Amino acid sequence: DGLSSLEAFVKTAKSGHAEFTQVVTPPPRNGQAQRPKTSSGSFEFSRPNRFRFDYRKPFEQSIVADGETLWLYDADLNQVTARKQAAVLGSTPAALIASAADLATLKRDFELSDDGSKDGLDWVRATPRASDGQLRALRAGFKGDALAQLEIDDSFGQRSVLSFEHMALNAGVPAARFQFKPPQGAAVLRQ
Amino acid sequence: CATVAPPAPDARHWSGRLGLTVLDAAGQAQAQSAVSASFQLDGSPSEGSLSLSTPIGSTLAVLKWQPGHARLEANGTVEEYGSLDALAAAATGTPIPVAALFDWLDGRPTPVPGWTPDLSRIADGRLAAHRTQPPPPAELRLVLDR
Repeated sequence: DGLSSLEAFVKTAKSGHAEFTQVVTPPPRNGQAQRPKTSSGSFEFSRPNRFRFDYRKPFEQSIVADGETLWLYDADLNQVTARKQAAVLGSTPAALIASAADLATLKRDFELSDDGSKDGLDWVRATPRASDGQLRALRAGFKGDALAQLEIDDSFGQRSVLSFEHMALNAGVPAARFQFKPPQGAAVLRQ
Repeated sequence: CATVAPPAPDARHWSGRLGLTVLDAAGQAQAQSAVSASFQLDGSPSEGSLSLSTPIGSTLAVLKWQPGHARLEANGTVEEYGSLDALAAAATGTPIPVAALFDWLDGRPTPVPGWTPDLSRIADGRLAAHRTQPPPPAELRLVLDR
């Protein structure tokens, strides 16, 4: 079931990389559905607490967690923001899939429950224990031991769905992949 | 429940990414009052909303305004403000001309005291604006989704 798939994923998948597609659907406004926004790129992780999302389409943006600092780089804005990982990572989607060292660590920040099987995936639901955060609920869908989909519902009713393809686990992602050097001339903001 | 009002005829919709940096005396970007988020701007200067989200799609804050009301929803709390300008300053930590954005994004360089908009690349969906008053100086950049 979903819970055992998550446990196996957290225990056995020490590192990995995949392609992802992300669809963000804002909450309806004035009763009208909103246009979803699709983006795609590549995702890499190495437990514990190192991962990166490289968005390539429709624009270039990177999120890199190097184990200490969470970097966000936007090429068009030529801007880098840097935050201490410990301060921001706890109950974020990334913690669920990439940075938690084991299930016990996850259970500190999330209440985990099995969420049945649907669309050929075994699902687990993760509800953040911190109630004031941005996140309302998170669902992770597994195909066997491979993470296939992540559904993120924030506290404003915005839904973000990440679908992973060609997930290669324990493929030995080099450590250098998680080191981030702000590009020349970008405004670097440490918050 | 309240009947659902259809959007006003002049209602606009823009989405993209917003970068805001405030410079200190030496012209260095001040970290704490910087914003880098994807945004969705709806409605008009008199009635509308501006939402700010992280790249992965988690909403950071929602600003909503209508005549006589201006509200900031963030971190599980709701705060009321007397005007859109006061709301925008509270949300980003520094005054930004949200009302003027509707004109600037439409390519109309409506003047705003203390701000110099650059609409030269608006056809590419890029807007920049530089603030000299009130100090400290600030840079606002918007890149529209294509």
